[in-house]
Parts: sequence; C-alpha cells; structure tokens
Amino acid sequence: MNLNTSILKYIEDVKSGSFTVEEFTAATLQRIKDIDGDIHAYLSLNDSAINDAKLIDQKISSGEKIGQCYGFPISIKDNICITGTKTTCASKMLENFVAPYTATVVNRLHAEDAVITGKTNLDEFAMGLTTEFSAFGPTKNPWNLDYVPGGSSGGSAASVAANECLASLGSDTGGSVRNPASFCSVVGLKPTYGLISRYGLISYANSIEQIGPMTKTVKDSAFLLNIIAGQDANDDTTIDSNNQNYLENIEDGIEGKKIGIIKEMTTSDGLSSEVSTATKDTIHDFESLGASCEEISLPTIPYTIAAYYTITSTEAGSNLARYDNIRYGYELESEGYEYNSYISKSRTKFGPEVTRRIILGGFVPSAGHAGKYFLKSLKVKSKLISEVNNAFKKFDYMISPTAPVQPFKFGEKIDDPVTLMLLDYNTVTANLTGKPAISVPYRVVNGLPIGMQIMANSLKEKSLLQAAYALESKTTLPEVPL
Amino acid sequence: MTKIGLEIHCQLTKLKSKLFCSCKANYREFEPNHNICPVCMGLPGSLPRLNQKAVESATRIAMALSCETPEKIAFFRKNYFYPDLPKNFQITQLNVYGDTSIGGEGYVNVEDKKIKIRRIQLEEDPGRIIYEGASERTKITLIDYNRAGTPLVEIVTDPDFESPRQVRVFLNILSDLLENLGVAEPGLEGAMRADGNVSIEGGKKVEIKNIGSFHDLEKALHFEITRQQSLFERDIEIVQETRHWDDKRKITVSSRSKEKDQDYRYFLENDIPWIKLDQGMLDGLKKNMPESISSKKERYVEKYDIASQVAEIIASDKYYSNLFENAYSDSNAKDIANLITTDVIGFIDTKEKQQNSKITSRHLSELIDAINSKTITRNSAKVALQEIMKSGKGTREVLEELDLGQVSDSSEIENIISQIFEEEKQAVIDAKERPETVNFLVGKVMQKTKGKADPVKTLELIKSKLLS
Amino acid sequence: MVDEDEIIRVAELMKINLDDHGEHVSRVKKMLEYFDILDQIDLSSEEITSQEKSLTELRKDEFIPNDKKLIESLKNFREHYVRAPKMN
Repeated sequence: MNLNTSILKYIEDVKSGSFTVEEFTAATLQRIKDIDGDIHAYLSLNDSAINDAKLIDQKISSGEKIGQCYGFPISIKDNICITGTKTTCASKMLENFVAPYTATVVNRLHAEDAVITGKTNLDEFAMGLTTEFSAFGPTKNPWNLDYVPGGSSGGSAASVAANECLASLGSDTGGSVRNPASFCSVVGLKPTYGLISRYGLISYANSIEQIGPMTKTVKDSAFLLNIIAGQDANDDTTIDSNNQNYLENIEDGIEGKKIGIIKEMTTSDGLSSEVSTATKDTIHDFESLGASCEEISLPTIPYTIAAYYTITSTEAGSNLARYDNIRYGYELESEGYEYNSYISKSRTKFGPEVTRRIILGGFVPSAGHAGKYFLKSLKVKSKLISEVNNAFKKFDYMISPTAPVQPFKFGEKIDDPVTLMLLDYNTVTANLTGKPAISVPYRVVNGLPIGMQIMANSLKEKSLLQAAYALESKTTLPEVPL
Repeated sequence: MTKIGLEIHCQLTKLKSKLFCSCKANYREFEPNHNICPVCMGLPGSLPRLNQKAVESATRIAMALSCETPEKIAFFRKNYFYPDLPKNFQITQLNVYGDTSIGGEGYVNVEDKKIKIRRIQLEEDPGRIIYEGASERTKITLIDYNRAGTPLVEIVTDPDFESPRQVRVFLNILSDLLENLGVAEPGLEGAMRADGNVSIEGGKKVEIKNIGSFHDLEKALHFEITRQQSLFERDIEIVQETRHWDDKRKITVSSRSKEKDQDYRYFLENDIPWIKLDQGMLDGLKKNMPESISSKKERYVEKYDIASQVAEIIASDKYYSNLFENAYSDSNAKDIANLITTDVIGFIDTKEKQQNSKITSRHLSELIDAINSKTITRNSAKVALQEIMKSGKGTREVLEELDLGQVSDSSEIENIISQIFEEEKQAVIDAKERPETVNFLVGKVMQKTKGKADPVKTLELIKSKLLS
Repeated sequence: MVDEDEIIRVAELMKINLDDHGEHVSRVKKMLEYFDILDQIDLSSEEITSQEKSLTELRKDEFIPNDKKLIESLKNFREHYVRAPKMN
C-alpha cells in the first residue's frame, strides 16, 4: 500500500474500493511501528484507531451517511486536548494530565469521520523552533535524521513527511506550523487569527496563535480547512468566515495578481545561499504564472522579533501560571510543603526554555519595565499592522522564504538565544498582524528542504490557497528517503 | 478630619450563569466542587466566554449610580498566585488604555453628602478557601471552586465618607438600590462584601481588607480610626499600608510586607474582545430600568400625600413597595402605606421573614376596607395580619376565625367600661383630675375586648361616664 | 544594562526556583539586551489596536449543568475539597 498519498487521493481510493479504511489505518500504524523509533514524531498513539477505522468501514458498506474524511489518518499536536488522552505539551509539568474534554477542531474532525493516529511531539509548551526543547526527546527530520525538523510543531511535520499519517494539526504562534513545514517539505498553513477555534488548544500566546493544518498538498490543506474552520461558541475570539469552500476554484491561478517581495525578509545577507537562490527562482515561477512581482519594504520588520518575544513571553508567563501542580500535573506529594515552596518546587519541572520565557514574561510587563518593553511592543504590533494593511492595498500577496536557512544539525543553534530567536524572522509578521500565511515546499537541496512563504490579507485564505496551489504546480520534489 | 473610602464587591446572583461560563451564578445550593466546568476551573485549553446579561446588569448599575459609561469596555488580567484562583490570574477590568471599565465618575447622595463613585467594574469571584486543622503544623488548605467565576461588580468610592455611620447609611442605600434594580440579592450571605480605606487629619491612607460583613466593616472602621487617632496623638507616624481585619481579635493587623512586592503585571485579556456599548443598547437599557427608589418616594409623597418618612421606608424596600404598588387605589393609598409601616414592618423585619410571609396586597386592601367601614378596629387588623402571614388564609376567613369583628355596640362597650371602672378605681380618679390620662382606661377596654372595641366610641363613652 | 539581581527577584515572583542561577539568568539577560532594539523605532504616534465585538455577539445567560464527575478526574481531590499545601 502506498502511504505516500494525499488525502484527496486516499478518499478516491477508499470510495472506489482500492482498499478499506482499516487496511490503510493498519498500514499506517505499521509504518509508525517501523520508523517512529527513529523519528520520534509521536508521543502517544490512539489505541482505538483500528476500531474507529472498522466502524467507518461498516458505515461505508452499510450505505450509512459518512463524514467527508472517510477515515483518513491524522495526527494531532500534543498541546491540543482530546478527552481521555494524555495531553502533555511535551512537558514534565503535564506528564500525567489526561484531558477531560475535547478541542473543538478535533470534535469537528470526529464528526467528519477522520481517524486520529496519535499525539505528536513539540517543543515544550510550543516554545521553540527545533523541537529540541521537548521534555521527552526531540523529533528527527525524516529527510536526515541528524537534522532538526523545525518547531514547535516538529512532530506534526515529521509525521506527515514520513508518511506516518496523511495530515496533522499543529499550532503556529510565531511560525510553529510554517517553519517545520518548510524544514520537512510539507504544506503548513497559519490561518487568519480567529478563523479557527482555540478551544482545547493549550495556550502559550493566546493573542496571536492559531491551529493550522499540515498536509502533503495544498489541496489537502484546503480540504482540512473546510472541516475545521468557522466560528465556535466556545471561543469568543473566533470570527465569522462566511462559510467559504476553500477547495472550490483553487486551480484558478494567479494571472494578473500583484505579488510583493518583502525586502527585509529576502536580503541575501540574511539568507543562506541556497535559500537565496530558491527565492529568486520562486519569483521567476510566479512571474511565469502571470503574476507581477515587485519589492516592498516593511520597515518595522527588524523590530518584530523583539516585539514578538516580549509579547509572547508576557502572555506565556500568565498562561502558564496555572501550572502549580495542585489541580492537575504530575505526582508530587504536598505533605510537608508550604504553599509557595510547593509551587516553586513543582515548577522546577519546566524545561529550560520555558523557564526562561516565564522569567522574561515576569520582567517585561512589570511595573518598572512595561513602558520600555511590553507597551512598546504592543505599539510595534500596531505599527506593523498598519504597514501590512497598507501593503495589501497594493498587493494581493507578499512572499518570502519561510526560513532563512535550511534545516541544521541538532545542537547547532540551541546555545545562542539571539540566533535561535532570529529563525522566526520571516514568520512572526503573519502572527503579529493576524494575517494568513502558508509555507509551500519548494525544493530539496543537498537532501534538505526549503519552503517558500506566501502571505495574504485577513480572511483571504481562498485566494492564498490559489497562489499556493499555483506555486506547488511548478515544483517537483523528491520522495522522503525514509 | 476622617476620610473613608470603600471598595464594595457585589455578586450578581440574579444572573443565571457565571461571568465566563454557563455554571450557575448562585453557587450556594451545590455540594463543594460540583458547580464547575473546564472554563471556571481554568483547565488547560479552556477559554472564557463573556455573559451578555452580566454586561447589561453592570451597565444598569453604572446608570443607577449616575456613572458615565464608555463606548467600549475591555477586560484585563490581574496576575498573582493564590489557591482560590484556578488560573492564578483574575479576569477583571481596569482603566489603563483610557476608560475601559463599565462605569466611572458617578455619585450617590447620602443624607446631605454626595459620595463620589470613582469606578465600577466587572470581575470574577475566586473560589473559597477553608482551613482545616487546629494547629499551624497540621493546617491544610481546602478549596471549593463552586464560587470561582461568579460575576462580581466592584464599586469603588472616593474617600468621601466622614464617619462609619455614614458608611452604614450608604451601604443600606446601595443594597436597596441594587435589589430594586433586580441585579443582586444583598441579603444572601457573602453576596455583598466591602473593604475600606481610612485616613485621618490629612494623613496617609491605610487599606483594610479581609472584612467579612458590613457589620464587621463598621467595627473595623471604628477600630482603625481609633488606632490612627491614638498614634496621631502620640506623634507617631501612621504608615501607609494594607492591614487585614482579624475577626477573632477584632483588630486590624498589618499584612505581610510581601504585598508591597506584588506586581500584578496587568495586561489585556486577549481571549475576550473589546465590547462596544452602542448608544442604541444604552438607550434600551435606560428605558427598561425599573423606577428608582427616589423617584418612587417622590411619587408617593406628591401623588398620594404620604408622609415623607413613610414613603422613604416603603420605596427603599422592594418587598414593601411591591406590596404597596399592588394594594393601593387612589382613595386608600395613605392608609395602606401606614398599615405597612406601622404594623407589617413590625413583624416582617428580616429578608427571611419577607420570603416566608404569605401576606398579599389583596389582604392589605381588604383589611383597610374593613377598618374604614368600621367592621374591625386597627388593632384587630394587626392581629389578623400576624395570622395571615403564617397561614395565608383569606381575610374574611381569618377575621371570622379569630372573631375580630369590631365591637361598636354602645351598650356592650358600656358594660365593659363599667367593669373597668370597677377594676381600676385609682385610674378613674386620675382621669377625672388629669383628663390626658384617660387613654389608660381606653387601653384597658381595648385589652379586655382583645382590641375589638371601637376606640373612638370607647373614648366617647368613657369621657361621658367620667363627667357623670 | 539589565540588573541580574532583578532577574532573580522576578523569577521568584513567577514562582521559578533558580537553583542553577547562572545559565538562565545570563541567557535571559542576553535576550533582554537584544530587546533594546525597541528603543530605536519611532512609536510616538501609535495607538494600540484591538479586536472588537458587539454586545449581541456574546454568550446568552443560561445555566447549563456540567458533568458532576469533572472534579473527580482532577488530582488532589479528596472528600469534597481540593487539598492544597498549608498557607503561611
């Protein structure tokens, strides 16, 4: 059975009887068994996946109404709650946390008969760019096991790239879907802020993060978006998306569209030479598709990393305050402790990066420093939004490489905090402005993937996916070597 | 020159659900930790959902206190660690980016003073902590989260109060006002709490927290004023600080200095968008506001010629004003009002009794009719009311059962008078010498007839007998 | 310059126990020093923007009882209450 297929092809095959849901699920589970020991994309597996698959097969054969997903296997990042499953955020603090409720996005998948294969690895509490900060060990890049898969949704990206499932739901706060998508050569979409319910997504920086689909193809991304997008009564920040069908007209092309090349994200000295070359080629591809490309400068961009880390650490410091190990967490007897010392003791289970972000998050909004750091960062955010809104008056899309470099080896970047932060340079703009952005796998050089990023204006996912599909049609990519 | 300011917290128990989730707003009927859900427990991944009616109720409070309301409101996080806070932050409101809380710059008239309301805000109540174990070593902290997320309105006044007595009057006015609005039940235990701040002689302000009830508040204020005065007299500096009320020892105690280090890192609660309060909505709320207490009082005085004191009493209490509004007609309004304030109030003097009483407006109007048609005496009406309160039986039934029909037959009354004159010889002599003491004899006749004798006739007949 | 003592104090406020002071503090300091870049941008005219909704879009006031068993699935729950360490 060929596991290197797309959701849409899979559904066709199931409908035509080429294989059953159970067969494909079993093959997928076998694949996980065979290679996940090496890759470590998964933190836990769904014990009832085969049963769920069987039930769907029964529905199909009995002619009962069946959900759009036809049982395709999908993995879920382990910061998204599913009832009865361990949801750890790759942290020792939540080692034993079993979620008592299910995230809206997963409910929507269940309602359409998707099969969940398991929960995937991430940087602890989604803070990181390489999945090296997972408390349970990193995920390896399926393209080369010595290299990082990107982060924080590294497990999600790797599970799709390695054919351990057909899609995954990750979360993107500063590039955490797009960055690993680029590093693992899969499609990763961060939708408009408010398009997708965050109910059940364990918060890191709630003002800017979104759940995003990670898939093999752009059409699959649109398919998945159709299922999970839309207002949710459980999330006051979701907005009305007018019930669009994102698959419809996705092949329309980009003839006559105007594309802005973001100057600050594409200067050659900020990019590796391979990425720089790929960028130039991308521009040519877009032009050959009938679009016109022009450079645009967004002068606020050099300040976005500082603003992003200030804002997200402030929110993280607050969002993670609830982890005091009193109502949930892990085993630690409170006998003999006093309240404050118990909490401090239990929070030593946070990993080093989370610990540092929490400290930062106590510092930058504090009474004496908020003006210099936090309030300034909020203003940078506002300034960026005006700049980008202005740019979209002229352009339909704006592009850049997703990451300034190709994947690198484990341990290479982890020691210098500033170098690490700057990996997000091209991606945080979409989060700070709330705009949708997608990473399309573009090329593999020396066995390591490069992805290109396209950004569109708010709620323009339909148009964005058209541009992504057009670019994808220009690419030929090798199969993952695993 | 004493200056007192208040910070009052009022639970919006008339709402059906909590501020950010659909658990019950009034948690009192539940077993501990059985009125909770992922949202109010702050479980990972849960999100707050703002209660529309809570915003409306808080807006109405702001209007009733003559506050200005902003064009849009926002919520903030107050970050600190405490066992009763499931998220280790409280979602509240603040005026940081301009006016973002639900109301400000209002006032309440207390006697002849205008008490300024600085700010009104919506926020969530934390859970409840109970300490178990006698000694310091064995003390365990027990937490019940049923109350976590209950909608609160915080009302902050300027330090305009000059005495604890004035504070008490204000709190009564405020309680009546909130009850009249139909947003709160101040009588419920723990539904209204207040902290205060005190300064004297233009000195530093001392905050007092952890005050359990309004009763305790007055005590705490008295104590604190005395404490500050004694320091002042001995030329000792009054430190600006937060003290807490120690209910066991009935004193205020300096709180640990760690309060000073506390940095709440206030920032916007991004899970709740800013909410626009558009003019249409505000106008709609204004139109549907229940009549204010002062407006009711004015109406009673002007339209029905009811005495000011009486009108005040009835207008201020929702229970009485409901009784009155449904009982009176143009001709007997004054009588009904007097009946309420003279008799009913006497024995229905607590919220609990109000809730359990079976007296209806119809009973009142029927009794007034009976009095005015001289079927019964005023005294008998009182007796009847007490029975009706308990049994709820019809007016006529009760009057018959208790045989309360007025005794107005002259010869019957004269008989009783003769008996009394026999029994109270000294009183008769007194009455002949000092006519103003005749009421004693009238009283005795009323006693003997169990209040049924027509008092006017009785007086007449006694007077004429004295002359003869 | 960012004061290291202050970083340590903040950590305590955030209930972070810094046994190994050195590494975390110096890394946090490095990040904060990078944030100095914020001083270079002109923000004088900027307002802070936000997401807005109208009152009618909010949740209706209804009581919906929740699963009675929720509390039992959480740790430290014994005989009605959640037990926490003693307070000073």
